[in-house]
Amino acid sequence: MTTDRSTFDPPKAGWWPAFGWVSFAFFAFTQVYAVVTSPADRMMGHMQKMMYVHVPAAWVTFLAFGIVLAASVLFLWKEDERHDLIAASAAEVGSVFCALTLILGMLWGRPTWGVWWSWDARLTSTLVLFLIFVGYLALRSFVEDPQRRGQWSAAVGILGAINVPIVWMSVKWWRTLHQLQSNPRSLDPVYLRGLMLNFLAFTLLMVFFIRRRYEAARYERAAEHASQAAALGGYDG
Amino acid sequence: MAFRDDLRRVRAIVWKDLTTERRSKAGFNAVAALGVTILVLFGFALGPDAQALRDAAAGALWLAVLFAGVLAFNRSYQVELDGGALEALLLYPGARWAIFAGKFIANLIFVVAMLVIVVTVGLVLFQVTVPSDWGKIVGIMLLGVVGLVALGTFYAAMSSRSRAREVLLPLLLYPMLIPVLLASMEATKAFLQGDLMNQAGSWAQMLGLFDVIFLVATFLAFEYVIEV
Amino acid sequence: MAESTLGYVVASYVLTWVVILGMLVRVLGAVRQARHEYEAVVKGDFNS
Repeated sequence: MTTDRSTFDPPKAGWWPAFGWVSFAFFAFTQVYAVVTSPADRMMGHMQKMMYVHVPAAWVTFLAFGIVLAASVLFLWKEDERHDLIAASAAEVGSVFCALTLILGMLWGRPTWGVWWSWDARLTSTLVLFLIFVGYLALRSFVEDPQRRGQWSAAVGILGAINVPIVWMSVKWWRTLHQLQSNPRSLDPVYLRGLMLNFLAFTLLMVFFIRRRYEAARYERAAEHASQAAALGGYDG
Repeated sequence: MAFRDDLRRVRAIVWKDLTTERRSKAGFNAVAALGVTILVLFGFALGPDAQALRDAAAGALWLAVLFAGVLAFNRSYQVELDGGALEALLLYPGARWAIFAGKFIANLIFVVAMLVIVVTVGLVLFQVTVPSDWGKIVGIMLLGVVGLVALGTFYAAMSSRSRAREVLLPLLLYPMLIPVLLASMEATKAFLQGDLMNQAGSWAQMLGLFDVIFLVATFLAFEYVIEV
Repeated sequence: MAESTLGYVVASYVLTWVVILGMLVRVLGAVRQARHEYEAVVKGDFNS
């Protein structure tokens, strides 16, 4: 693992706090804008408005997992612990958005199809992704050594990422063979702008949350390193 | 030359794992007995109506093999861990994949042996009539077990060396096994019901594809996981 | 029918906002706590 000092230096906050304020203001704006300006759908009525929270939450979930995958690959390649900390932060944030996506999916499904759960490919794959997130975080909580924790998490994260599309494919085939209809959702272009704005807003929030979580992890590592160095004799800060 | 050494290492590990297993015969017998017990519990959960049992047989069989087989995976690392032999094993020069291959083959033999017992009992308990071309079902089961053992051996390399290993292995492994299990169950179900041959074939192909993907992935990832 | 679905929509938005605000609070709290601990460790060394 790298002995690059910068890994153990505390992180700089920089312009991130300002980024946070802007992200939140933008989020508030896009939420209100989308709800207020979108006309009621002919068939779905008010239900259509749920799209502005459910779809962006799902998008951000998979984006966060993509970050876990990329950071895990980078960690195994470059052996820089900071990549492991980014992966872990993205996993924490992603798992929360994943749970939110699942519950919003159920809140959509109940009035639309009459059931809370439908075992369709999308919902089921998201649930499996959630289980993979939970397993990833559980593994990290049970391993103390940073090097081992980083390598094991990276392997689990990468394999998990490979698995998600495979699960999606299998469930789709499963339902096709049992002759269950899929639920096509076409999008009327009039809703597109509100959706895109909310995609952006959720993404900015996700980035902010991951960054802050990462900063906390960096402080923890910096503290660990400093106290270890002090115990060995003389903090060379 | 190095490859021949690796192959020799694989054989040595397979032999070691299996003979340690045989000396503690309680290990295999207990696991096989557990598989049968789980089948009985499924029988109570799903029966006693004969048709319901027949419909659910494929699923119950595979879950029984899974729950019992998982016990084998952590234990396959236990022997080295107890004696501190894993560090010694890693000191020898040579590819880590040989360690994985050795353990994979040993676990495969173990789980296949257990599966034979569990399936035989299961077919009886769930009142399943076996179609005449039962060779195909054997093929499906072997494909399924390969995927199960590859992933199980891989994740056990981590779980066996951490705290809370009993919960960590299932937690990590089961979501990863969903495609392999689904394909195995559906193919087995289709074969046992004798109809829609095309369906079983497509699941078998998917299962083969999954096996290839997961075997390659676990072989490649193993060195990152066993070294540290 | 319209009234009952409205309830689901409102619940979705309330839940989303609660989760996002909750994450904000947790994440900022984590940074603050980790930073204090780090500063405590560093100060402790200077005193010894």
